[in-house]
Amino acid sequence: MAAAGIKLHPSCRARQEGFGLLFYDCKGPRLLFAATGTLIPADYFATPRARGEFPDGITDSQKPALQKFVNQLLDKGFLHEQ
Amino acid sequence: MSNKYVEMGMRSPVNLTWEVTQACNLRCSHCLSSSGDPAKNELSTAEALDLVEQLHTAGVFQVNFGGGEPFIRPDFEQILAACHGHGIMTCISTNGTLITPELVARLGSNRLVAIQVSLDGAVRETCDAVRGKGVFDDAIRAVKLLAATKIPTSINTVLTTHNADEIPAMYDLAKSLGVSLRVSRFRPSGRGADNWESLRPTPTQLLAFSDWLAKSGDVRTGDSFFSLTSQERQGLGLNLCGAAKLTCCVNPDGHMYPCAFLQSDHFEAGDLRVNSFQEIWDGSAIYESFRNLRIHSCEECTRFDQCHGGCPAVAYHLKNDINGGDPECLERCVTSIAESRLQEAA
Ligand SMILES: C[S@@+](CC[C@H](N)C(=O)[O-])C[C@H]1O[C@@H](n2cnc3c(N)ncnc32)[C@H](O)[C@@H]1O
Ligand code: SF4
Ligand code: SF4
Repeated sequence: MAAAGIKLHPSCRARQEGFGLLFYDCKGPRLLFAATGTLIPADYFATPRARGEFPDGITDSQKPALQKFVNQLLDKGFLHEQ
Repeated sequence: MSNKYVEMGMRSPVNLTWEVTQACNLRCSHCLSSSGDPAKNELSTAEALDLVEQLHTAGVFQVNFGGGEPFIRPDFEQILAACHGHGIMTCISTNGTLITPELVARLGSNRLVAIQVSLDGAVRETCDAVRGKGVFDDAIRAVKLLAATKIPTSINTVLTTHNADEIPAMYDLAKSLGVSLRVSRFRPSGRGADNWESLRPTPTQLLAFSDWLAKSGDVRTGDSFFSLTSQERQGLGLNLCGAAKLTCCVNPDGHMYPCAFLQSDHFEAGDLRVNSFQEIWDGSAIYESFRNLRIHSCEECTRFDQCHGGCPAVAYHLKNDINGGDPECLERCVTSIAESRLQEAA
């Protein structure tokens, strides 16, 4: 069984662009442009992540905005919780 | 669709059309690539596999395979497997005639493939008039085989004057077969340019289609109709031309173009036998000109924010002017209908 956690949806991909992360959903197709700079590595959600888990180097003051962003990605279906 | 980021330039295309061969067992009268015989110097298996490596390195998310008929290429499944091995999603456009139960079983073992079967009418006569005798039945057989698997399958219909009234029936047909419907805009390239006048939908048909589309949220259109669709529908997709910004095209012999409908020498961005994929994407003057393309002649239009001047390929083929604005946009359809009514009344 796959490990539990928040992960990139199988129909989605992400990559680093100059502005931050570019998300792609082949169902649609849809794009999402996230001005995250280099805060989140493109492959971060290739591995299941626990709620409240953040990439290394994220400061406490950055966490609420990042959590909001993760929630948005979940709402929009780019991430899913398994 | 965030144009701000698109205009900043992407490090590589999000998806691209790869015409893996020009060989085709059909001779459709609308064929954008005038397919039939294979091209003289098509990429070898080794070159094709090398291109897949380059696409992976570049971070391309999806390859849309076309042609020609992709399944005619003996190594096509090898090329597909190489894409899937790197997690690259693939969508194959096929005429359906070469789809067998064995092929479907092999394709179905992979979760990264989607298939579009082309069907250009809801009834045999309409479809076969464009695609050739017996093709409707072959395509339906292929759709049935695919619909019985987990492979995401759609029927792709090019909107012409002959099938415009059948689009709702196409929708019902797709639904009854358990697949989705995708409608593509007919564009005047290849044999489609030669047969433009006899196949093009009229402005009245385009407007009727636009109205129908507004009510049909589950019909996919790619980037086909952003210059013709209502504001509400635009949340579903692109509202600008993605050529050289989000997408591009590779032809059978490894030349790159802004899009599948702009494959003349004039628009050649580079040759993969001379430069790498990334070098061409980053350095081509043609691509740069598309990234900077602004359709100033359309800027005063009230719908400019919704279509940004529409499809440059259609403007180029019909007006010989890439900056000319889309001759079949919603505004121009409405104006053209009003003008012909005035002429009739005079
Ligand atoms: C060129 S074909 C190649 C793949 C395959 N042989 C097939 O017919 O699906 C790719 C898609 O483009 C569509 N097409 C062909 N000519 C076109 C044109 N002039 N304008 C828009 N779409 C076109 C076809 O109907 C098909 O769905
Ligand atoms: S549209 Fe497809 S099936 Fe028809 S001639 Fe062109 S490549 Fe062949
Ligand atoms: S030139 Fe037209 S067909 Fe090509 S990508 Fe742009 S809008 Fe699409």
